[in-house]
Amino acid sequence: MLGYLLLPLVLLLVISIWADHRTYVTPMYEAFDRALSRAAIAIAAHVQQAPDGQLYVERPESGLSPMQPPGPRPVRQPADPGIAPHHPSSMRFDLEDRAVPWMHLYPGGRDNFLFRVSLPDGQTLAGDEGLPAAAGTPVDNMAYSDALYKHVTLRVASYHTTVGDTPVVVTVGETVHRRDVVVRRLDTVIGLSDGIQLLLVLGVCLFGITVALRPIHRLRDQIMRRQPQSLQPLPLEPVPSEVRPLVESLNTLLVTVRDSTLAQQHFLTNAAHQLRTPLTGLKAQLEVLASETQDKTQHERINRLQGSVDRLAHTANQLLALARAEPSAHSPGDFVAIQLDVLIGAVVGAMLDRALAHDIDLGAECKPVQVHGVYWLLHELLINLLDNAIRHTPDGGNITVRCGVNSGSPYLEVEDSGPGIPHAERERVRERFYRAAGSDGQSSGLGLAIVEEIARSHRAGFDILDAHEGSGARMRITFPSRA
Amino acid sequence: MRILLVEDDPLVSDAIVRGLATAGYVVDAVGDAESVQGRLDTTHYDLAIVDLGLPGEDGFTLVRRLRRDGSSLPLLIVTARDGLDDRVNALDLGADDYLVKPFALPELAARCRALIRRATAATANEMVVGRLRIDLAGRRAIDDTGRVLELTRREWSILECLAHHSGRVVSKERLIQAIVSWDEEISGNAIEVHVSRLRAKLGDAATVRGIRGLGYRLDDA
Repeated sequence: MLGYLLLPLVLLLVISIWADHRTYVTPMYEAFDRALSRAAIAIAAHVQQAPDGQLYVERPESGLSPMQPPGPRPVRQPADPGIAPHHPSSMRFDLEDRAVPWMHLYPGGRDNFLFRVSLPDGQTLAGDEGLPAAAGTPVDNMAYSDALYKHVTLRVASYHTTVGDTPVVVTVGETVHRRDVVVRRLDTVIGLSDGIQLLLVLGVCLFGITVALRPIHRLRDQIMRRQPQSLQPLPLEPVPSEVRPLVESLNTLLVTVRDSTLAQQHFLTNAAHQLRTPLTGLKAQLEVLASETQDKTQHERINRLQGSVDRLAHTANQLLALARAEPSAHSPGDFVAIQLDVLIGAVVGAMLDRALAHDIDLGAECKPVQVHGVYWLLHELLINLLDNAIRHTPDGGNITVRCGVNSGSPYLEVEDSGPGIPHAERERVRERFYRAAGSDGQSSGLGLAIVEEIARSHRAGFDILDAHEGSGARMRITFPSRA
Repeated sequence: MRILLVEDDPLVSDAIVRGLATAGYVVDAVGDAESVQGRLDTTHYDLAIVDLGLPGEDGFTLVRRLRRDGSSLPLLIVTARDGLDDRVNALDLGADDYLVKPFALPELAARCRALIRRATAATANEMVVGRLRIDLAGRRAIDDTGRVLELTRREWSILECLAHHSGRVVSKERLIQAIVSWDEEISGNAIEVHVSRLRAKLGDAATVRGIRGLGYRLDDA
């Protein structure tokens, strides 16, 4: 933002300094020229015609005073040592300061002043012989130009007049040192003041932008403070009119998303009911049939049917769990504080019979720890981790569920004494429907995909590690640090 | 023992009736919530199994209505829904347990048994776990041979606590609370000592299973 602001402002600064320079430099030069012309006219007044028709210039002692009321002052210090005086110092003048009032502010600038009284044919009557007459066309008998004299740039003014009948040209010249100094100093002052103005404008702009963006920042803070999955519309009230359209379109989007979430949840509830009820009937009927059948071959067939129905039920459950684990399927209100050790107690209790059926020692090592999550999703996650562990642990093995805090982050892990998962497979087993070589026919290949999905929706990490002891796998869920 | 089943799916309903019959229960099945009241008025039931997704009045409304009318009938909810909200809702409304479809019949039978056992204990002051008869009023346990087990006060308290939650894991902390008065201090190790003595006295009439890191569970055998 600063870049966008600074570049045009600097350009503006350069333009304004240039414009200011143009504005003051012409009238100032004109003022200098006028002072020069007055000096020329004053000198012309001292040109007299002798009775013999010859022209002469009165001595300055008697005559140059009109130009400098207190009388000619001696030169304090020649500013341009390059110009040697042709005449006694009494013939030299300092230009009267009054001609340029602001010169008071800049003492320091001093010029050499030269003059020459000549006839139109170039014959010099008095003054510096080499001083060239002004080249320009005379206006009101006065011509101005820049000239080079003894390698020094001069501003010269030539006054065309007549003394008696003889035309006379009075030329005065001064070095441009003083006006240069004035211009330079004025440029400095203008540059400084324009620069300060620019900084002020920049400050005002930044302040204004900050103030103008404040409602947007407030809006952002408001959004940040919300639960990450909150789909509640944003309040329109404290929002200024400029950002209201933004909030309104955000709200439209939120409503759309919420509607589709609700539709998704509704669909899942219906799908769950429509899938599970006939499966329950089928499963229960087969169980009844099995208990009523004495025939061995029939019994075996029923057993195989039961196996298939169980697998179907398992897969249906997993698919529903996977669909429910997607962020769109649960609402922010579902996120609550969950005591991981309590969750472990509940899930292990539910899975205990399956573990005992395989003579697996299923146990827990829990430290009290709380996370922010969706209870039934974490329930589902742990069920899937345990289901996976029980499937891969040989009879007589052991499975340990742990929870605690590791460097500020709560974790949940399940360690088994199975064969473990080779490093090469650790990414692939998270894929949906991936079944590792040697896995039994009962696996749907969705368990770890569900774990992955649920971990993601809790912003938790899911790592597959080596068991602390033995060759087994250790599945670890690391929740984001609460600090 | 008589069970009222409220389930609209005929396949499920029929299988539950047959399955629980083999477990020794008499099951009357109705297909909707509206027929429940008529049955309850004429027959005594020990338990009702209610499906949440009923046509017309749903299971939630039925449970709420029964509890509002002051019925203390043990209620087991079976449902295809598994969201936490449903679970909390049903238990808050007064259901005693909750089973998600599809379930295995033995599991359903076990839940029924536990619910009926608890309800009976409250009225008859007696519980049966495995081959063990627990006389709550007389504070004694009798095995199937009619022998009265000689239990210390603490061993009895542990058995009583486990029996009330039989089939479920009871944490050590909970057992400690059950056996000590306020001013007493007791360690987890002491509990282990008491439990192992209790185990020895129970023999094979019932099993106290230790669940590593979580607690103990009293099983039928």
